[in-house]
Parts: sequence; C-alpha cells; structure tokens
Amino acid sequence: MSGTTPDPNDDVVLAGEYTLSLLPEEELAAFEVRLASEPELRRICAIWAEEFSGFADDVKPVTPTEDVLTRVEMRLFGESAPGRRAGLWQRFGLTGLAVAVLAVLLFVSSDFLDQGPVPPETPAYTAEIAAEDRSLVVEAAYDAENAELYVERLAGEAAEGRALELWLIAGENAPVSLGVLPQEDRTVFTVTPELQDTLPGGVLAISDEPEGGSPTGAPTGAVLATGPITGA
Amino acid sequence: MSSELQEIEELIARMALKDRASFRTLYSRTSAKLFGVILRVLDDRAEAEDVLQDVYVKIWNNADRYLANGLSPMTWLISIARNAAIDRKRRARHSTSGDVLTATLADPAPGPETMAIRASERDRLDGCFGELDHQHADAVRRAYLEGDTYAELAERYNVPLNTMRTWLRRSLLKLRECLSR
Repeated sequence: MSGTTPDPNDDVVLAGEYTLSLLPEEELAAFEVRLASEPELRRICAIWAEEFSGFADDVKPVTPTEDVLTRVEMRLFGESAPGRRAGLWQRFGLTGLAVAVLAVLLFVSSDFLDQGPVPPETPAYTAEIAAEDRSLVVEAAYDAENAELYVERLAGEAAEGRALELWLIAGENAPVSLGVLPQEDRTVFTVTPELQDTLPGGVLAISDEPEGGSPTGAPTGAVLATGPITGA
Repeated sequence: MSSELQEIEELIARMALKDRASFRTLYSRTSAKLFGVILRVLDDRAEAEDVLQDVYVKIWNNADRYLANGLSPMTWLISIARNAAIDRKRRARHSTSGDVLTATLADPAPGPETMAIRASERDRLDGCFGELDHQHADAVRRAYLEGDTYAELAERYNVPLNTMRTWLRRSLLKLRECLSR
C-alpha cells in the first residue's frame, strides 16, 4: 500500500472508503474532484453503495412522529398548515394603493440599478453548477463570440473568510481554475482559446478555498457544487 | 427488481414532475426505514427527526436528478439519509461527502461488468463478509451503519490508526474480490 506503483485496485479501495465516509478530509477533496469528471469512478462508488446498503436490511424501521411530515410539507409547499392562507400582502399589511406605489417604485428604480454583466442572448453552452441540497446554485452561460463565460450566483455564498473558486474539468485533465467568484452575484470570466475547445462535455465545479483562491493552482478545499456543460 | 422497488421508482419519477401525492406516498412507504437508518448514526431522536426533515426536502428537490439505472432506488434513498445523518454527526460545515455520491447514484446504467457484480443478494454479501476476519467485517459494518471514523474505529478495536486503515482497505479488496466472483 505504501508503494508508488499505481494500483488499479486502489480506486476500488478509495471508492469503498469514500462510500463508507472514511476518507480523511484532504483526500476527500481530491477524490470528489476526480468523481466529478470520472464516470468509471462514479460507477465503482455506486456499486459499493448498492452492496453496503444491504446492511440497512438489518436496521429496524422506526416510525417518526406525524409532525415530521407536516413540517416537511410546510417547508416544501408552504400550505399544509390550516389557517395560514393569508397572502403575503395582507400579512405585511399593505393596502392595494401601497402595493401599486411599491410596484412603481420597484419598476422605476430597477431601471437605474446597474445590474452588472448580462447573460448572453444566444449562449453556445450552459451549465447549472449546483450543490446536491441546492444550498449553492450557480448558472453559467458561454458567449462564444466574445469568449466569455457569464456566471450568475442564484443561491449560496462563500463562508466567512473563504472564497468560491470556479473550475473547468475536461475529461481526465486536471481541473483548470477559471477564477474566484466575486461578491457580486453576476460576473464574466474570459475563456482562453485552448480552454474553449474543452468546454463541450466538460464539467464545471466550485470548491471552497482560502480568500483569493487556491494557493496551489489545484482545488484544496471541498467541492461544493458541480454541473455538466451542455450545448444550449 | 421487485415490484415494490419498481413502485418506489415510479413514485420518484412522478415526484420529479412535482406530484405531491406521490411524495406523500413515498414518505409513508419509506420514512420508517430512513428514520431507522438515521437513528443508527444519531442517538438523539429530536435531532434525527430534524435530519429526516432535511432528507425528505432533499429527496423532493432532487427527484428529477434520479435516473432509474437498474440500481435499487432504496440505495439512493438510504444513501441520502445516511450521509445527511453523518454530516450532522460530524458537524462539518462544508462536508459535501455523500452529496457527490448521491448524484453519482443517479448516473446512467452501469456497464455489463457492473451488472454482473451486482446481481447482489443479501446472502452473497453475508457470505463474503463471512470470509473476512470477524473484527474487520464488524469495522466495515460500523463505518456504514454508525458512521464511525477511522479514529473512532481505531479506538474501539484498540489499534493504531494506520493499522485500522490497513485492515479496512484490505477488507475492501477482499470483499470486492469475493463479490465479483
């Protein structure tokens, strides 16, 4: 195990450790980057998960209190609880006139607000880079004419004192940094001609990095979100 | 796949189309099992119910990413529950461990070699575990069901951490070899 020769069994073992949530943190980040771009590795993990889930056969089912379903439905659909049908406007005590005034204000002011970069009208490629629980969702659209990747953060942000870094993973290549996401929701990254060719079929990933981005040029923190690049 | 599992797969497919009735049915069919899985990792019932809520929110939100691929839909559901419980237990702020895995399980159909490996019945898994040293098999099971870390396992079996890892990695190789027979 301590040898330096690459061992194909190693991936099987690593995938097993990953599926058992045993990988040490530093190895975990590297493994998740590989997972994002290596379907075979994902397959091995899926097989392990299927095998291990047999353990759950021995787990005794326990009925949760009824309250749980009610609360889940409230969170998802927001309407299970009786007597909570009052509209947003009533609850905020806004009269029809106030609503109208507010609407005009919003409409007018939005004209003056600088919205920052705007998405390309006919993107060549798009991607949704999302965390599994959608705590971080970023949309990307590639403008081939200007060789620009428009990126908009729809949900989530960097942790205090940390940064979100965007990576392009093409095939088996090492991840290439496209840059650190700014504080603003919208931004544009320039894509070099070499990278441009690797976009189709690639994967975009966002990792958690120190402020200013990864010091090593490779992802050092956890991979928070991934998304495949697809033709628009 | 049994008709029961097929039905669960269909429920997930309808949930992807935002069918709330299917969500309720899936919940009634699966919540006791998933709650049991979560309780194995987290001893605290209130905390476990909290995680269970998150799990079903996640299942609803990701139903459209689930692809029927020949793997059991229960594996997908159980993995989401187990990983959420372990994340909570470790309270790792950025832990995405399992999030990628859960997406992974929605990959398109495994290749033929994979399918051969996974004609997996419980007997086969038990048989292969029976070939492992008893303690080693127990460690793998504990990692899966209780979410123990290498450090916790090393303490339990009173061996150095590196030894623990070596045991476990060897066991995985043996298992893999046995399960592909």
